[in-house]
Amino acid sequence: MYLIALKMLFNDKAKFFGIVMGVTLASLVITQQGSIFTGIMTRTFGTITDMNYPDIWVMDRKVQFIDDVKPLADTKLFEVRGIEGIASAVPLYKGMIRARMENGTFQNCNLYGLDDSSLIGGPSVMVEGRLEDLRRAESVIVDLEGATSRLAKPGPTPDAPRVPLKVGDTLELNDHRAVVVGISKGSRTFQSQPNIFTTYSRAVTFAPKERKLLSFILVKAGPGQDPYELCARITERTGLAAYTSDQFKVLTVNYFLKYTGIPINFGIAVSLGFLVGTLITGFMFYSFTIDNLKYLGTLKAMGTGDGKLMAMILLQALTVGVIGFGLGVGIASFFGTSMRETQLAFRLTWQLLFASGGAVVIICMLAAMLSVRKVIALEPAVVFKG
Amino acid sequence: MSSLAPSPAAPAPTAGQRAVAVRCRRVIKNYGVGNATVRALRGVELDVHEGELLMLVGPSGCGKTTLISVIAGVLDRDEGECTVFGKDFSALSSNERTRFRGQTIGFVFQSFNLIPTLTIAENVSVPLLLNGVSRGPALKKAKEMLAVVGLGDRVNEAPNRLSGGQQQRVAISRALVHDPKLIVCDEPTSALDHETGHKVMELLRGVAMSGNRSLIVVTHDNRIFDFADRIAHMDDGVVDKIVGSAKELYGPNMAAK
Repeated sequence: MYLIALKMLFNDKAKFFGIVMGVTLASLVITQQGSIFTGIMTRTFGTITDMNYPDIWVMDRKVQFIDDVKPLADTKLFEVRGIEGIASAVPLYKGMIRARMENGTFQNCNLYGLDDSSLIGGPSVMVEGRLEDLRRAESVIVDLEGATSRLAKPGPTPDAPRVPLKVGDTLELNDHRAVVVGISKGSRTFQSQPNIFTTYSRAVTFAPKERKLLSFILVKAGPGQDPYELCARITERTGLAAYTSDQFKVLTVNYFLKYTGIPINFGIAVSLGFLVGTLITGFMFYSFTIDNLKYLGTLKAMGTGDGKLMAMILLQALTVGVIGFGLGVGIASFFGTSMRETQLAFRLTWQLLFASGGAVVIICMLAAMLSVRKVIALEPAVVFKG
Repeated sequence: MSSLAPSPAAPAPTAGQRAVAVRCRRVIKNYGVGNATVRALRGVELDVHEGELLMLVGPSGCGKTTLISVIAGVLDRDEGECTVFGKDFSALSSNERTRFRGQTIGFVFQSFNLIPTLTIAENVSVPLLLNGVSRGPALKKAKEMLAVVGLGDRVNEAPNRLSGGQQQRVAISRALVHDPKLIVCDEPTSALDHETGHKVMELLRGVAMSGNRSLIVVTHDNRIFDFADRIAHMDDGVVDKIVGSAKELYGPNMAAK
């Protein structure tokens, strides 16, 4: 009988494609919008992801997310280094700086100052040059995205394409000359400014004059140390906030979830996808059931129990669900893959697949419920009414 | 309802030589409530015997369809007694009733009710599948049954590619394929022309009656009355007359009816 249920579904091609389209649309919108949302949220902590050396980030207690820098006194670094259980603690400068281009225009950039001796926190992927080249005078490393877009030089003619910044080119950072010694590649961040890396001591000379310039302290836990206990110890001894990398990512994401309109905007898009998908699928599936009510009544009269009819309808609903989900996720994945080299933030995780699959199951169950109610209430005697 | 005079009890066609397949006594069925109540059956008395083709006739709205719905167990009666091969549907659970109906009763409908998205062989195999036969043997038997009704070369076609008469032959195959003991036919010839209707009735009479089955045929079509062993006439919710031929029912000038 289940095969018959499937044949009834597949052979009514117009309705079948209509229902599958509804599920596909819902699955596509939920997965695609969800992936873009996840991609954007992932970008908010891109800097933390790229700096994979530290176990613990130490910062001012008021810091709410990675770009919310509240400078510390340099002495705090020594306080932290004095705490037992810490293998190493290095300074990190993170701030905004204006870069003056060769043609006289300005561009705001993120400036990172790395520990002079260890260069911890530097980019892990170098496209050109070496991280160690930062030890040369006036040296900076620029990320590929910035070098090829916002920091790219104008072409020889007004219509010519811009020329990417390359090793050996110079920039002017807050009236200081800087020489590009490397091009790095890292995760895209939420802020779209170019990233410039240099040493901590050079960064503080580039940076606008302030009394405190230390942004974060990057801590490596000693062998066998529990990072959470170490965080608590640092906070207790120094009065500073200390988070593991994962905690800092969560803190950052939570800030964006709480204080920006991003979740509500994507939430509306996802809800709309769910709603439209449910309406289309529900209406089409219900219409399919109504079209077949005479035959379902016939089956009922001939000895098909309510349980079996219900199972047949559920099977039909789940079948269109699986096909529609597969198509929707497939299209969303294709979309994400084809846009990989663009600015689009797209991250399809297994959790999102589960959520999207769950939403599709709910859509199918809602659609099936409408039909099941109709079929259960159907009097088999209806078959004698012509 | 009890004040109503009971309908006349049904005389057996061959003086009690055949066992009773369907027995209805004082069957009452109402639709609606209060002032809107429609008394569809007002105390039906009827016996249908094994190996008998009984036609149920009467004016529109007299309760024929309601009566076969009650007999076939697809509609609950309100009062009275109705047994099919000794089983009372109202004494069975919902699952038992569904199973008993699937095993014991075959249906032929006015508008055939063939599932358009299945082949005719698949349509015919449905009662077997419902009775637990697996797909392969069910399809094999369905094709054999279709060969019996002369459609052996069209088993893989969709119902809508067949003529009305052919579709009704498919429906008859479906009603017979699982070898039920009772066949219930609702206006089986009303959608067919005279010649096709005649052929369908010949088929029903010849094939369906071969296994000592009982047939109840609801019809308005007086051109097929000659196929009946007995004709039960209904009026206003009761069986008011049971006769052996159309002439007995309407007199010699049948055409006037």
